Amino acid sequence: MIDWAWIADHLDDFVGRAGQHLYLTAIAVSVGFVISFGLAVWSVRQRRAYGPILAASGVLYTIPSLALFPFFVPVTGLTDLTALVPLVLYSLVIFVRNIVTGLDGVPAEVLEAADGTGFDRFGRFWRVEVPLALPLIVAGIRLAAVSTIGLVTITALLGDRFGGLGFFIFEGLRHSFATEIFLGGLGSIALAVAVDAILVRVQRRLTPWS
Amino acid sequence: MATAERVVFEHVTKRYPGTGAGNPGAVEDLSLEIPAGKICVLVGPSGCGKTTSLKMVNRLIEPSSGRILIGDTDVAGSDVIALRRSIGYVIQQVGLFPHQTVGENVATVPRLLGWEPARRRARATELLELVGLDPARYAARYPSALSGGERQRVGVARALAADPPVLLMDEPFGAVDPIVRERLQNELLRLQEQLAKTIIFVTHDIDEAIKMGDLVAVMQVGGHLAQFGPPAGILANPASDFVARFVGADRGLKRLALIRVADLELRNAPTARPGDEASGARARAAADPFPYLLIVDAADRPLGWLDDRRIPASGAIAADGFEPAAPLFDRHTTLKDALSMLLEAGVQAGIVVDGDGAAQGLVTIEMIIERVRPE
Repeated sequence: MIDWAWIADHLDDFVGRAGQHLYLTAIAVSVGFVISFGLAVWSVRQRRAYGPILAASGVLYTIPSLALFPFFVPVTGLTDLTALVPLVLYSLVIFVRNIVTGLDGVPAEVLEAADGTGFDRFGRFWRVEVPLALPLIVAGIRLAAVSTIGLVTITALLGDRFGGLGFFIFEGLRHSFATEIFLGGLGSIALAVAVDAILVRVQRRLTPWS
Repeated sequence: MATAERVVFEHVTKRYPGTGAGNPGAVEDLSLEIPAGKICVLVGPSGCGKTTSLKMVNRLIEPSSGRILIGDTDVAGSDVIALRRSIGYVIQQVGLFPHQTVGENVATVPRLLGWEPARRRARATELLELVGLDPARYAARYPSALSGGERQRVGVARALAADPPVLLMDEPFGAVDPIVRERLQNELLRLQEQLAKTIIFVTHDIDEAIKMGDLVAVMQVGGHLAQFGPPAGILANPASDFVARFVGADRGLKRLALIRVADLELRNAPTARPGDEASGARARAAADPFPYLLIVDAADRPLGWLDDRRIPASGAIAADGFEPAAPLFDRHTTLKDALSMLLEAGVQAGIVVDGDGAAQGLVTIEMIIERVRPE
């Protein structure tokens, strides 16, 4: 049923596609995080902004990926950006919500103590609020990373130079070749599980107090 | 060591937007001077403006008018961040930084001031010892691993870290149980004997105010200062009906809180150690009007009481079978607390111990009554 010989022949290809998968995920999650961090800080400072920001990023999230990925082709052509822009947009709602919840969760008495002991605003934010929000921030990164790894497979519909391991799934479907579908599917799952496991360890390292 | 500085409130008023005088948290024309090195307690019902007054000193709240001086410097003219780093601040919920170890928490202000790491660590060690926490055991722990009393000690250590001339304490012992509170109060008084800081201490508890304050400022809703002076004067001559009611009908009893166990001439108890020869101890107990033998360990720490009838006629004093050695007093324990603890325990005498837990002598109910009996 599984054509092991085919898999053995295409290991190089597999490694290359896995690399592309991780590359797209890493870029999308990083850019999504930076944009979301700005939006989250704005939301915490300007409470009125939070509702609209959350609503907008929530609406983006509901757009079906099959519709959103081809949407930017006229603007970006078939470049990495075509895949990256939707991936970033999908990550926003996860990040913004987690970062805002994390910053909101810093206890009032801790903030009062920080002010009373003479932290300036910058110091209070980076040395007290952000560290205490880290458990939720890292939880957001885990969610976004796993969700993005799933979405990267769908970018394969843009063409053969996209999709990471999703390329194998699409090609396998075209050729009704089960081994290739299996390789792409299982590979993506393994990637998601591995990335999540690594981030769990990062979280423990970053938040030894919790 | 930084010297303490006086703190002066000059016609300080705080009104909140859209509200007039008489609103919760407002302060109306507050003038008082707290001499350097004294503890001034701001006390009053909730909404009387006591916490607002405190927070105007380190400018967590800015006054609407009037000014506050530390030494001769108007706080409004100081850089607000530098000002706060130069004032110790302790709050009820402590507000330790959960992501930092106890040692790092204590070294907060030194780090903000840019001290070298080695100097910060040395200072944190010194302060943990000062507040009675073994640095070897506690410095590397996170706050979540501490009890409420331990957290509050760390909070006090953090406030003292940069040796500030002024300490602000906002209901610092309000969230711990009464036994721990009594101990923390005594520890703060002991610290204050060494440090002589100017301390502004906010509480709603008149008993705590009487015990802790060199000076007490009674405030009433609307932010008016109802009376300001030494606690004895407030108890003896309340300035208004409000103060009389706030102090309570049991002013006579409260006056017991003005006297400390250390002010009494302690009674010596007949003592013995486990293993001592019983007959001699029995004779000593029999010769004393108080028919109990206090059993202490090698370091004089009380182990328990032995009823003279239970002292064996011969042989040695056993190492167990005592009545519990309670209550224990510190020399800062007030007679009011001592009396309350004796009545609660249903016993005649409590044991006064020093900082190392060694027995210093006894305080009996009779001694307390004798001390306050009208001449």
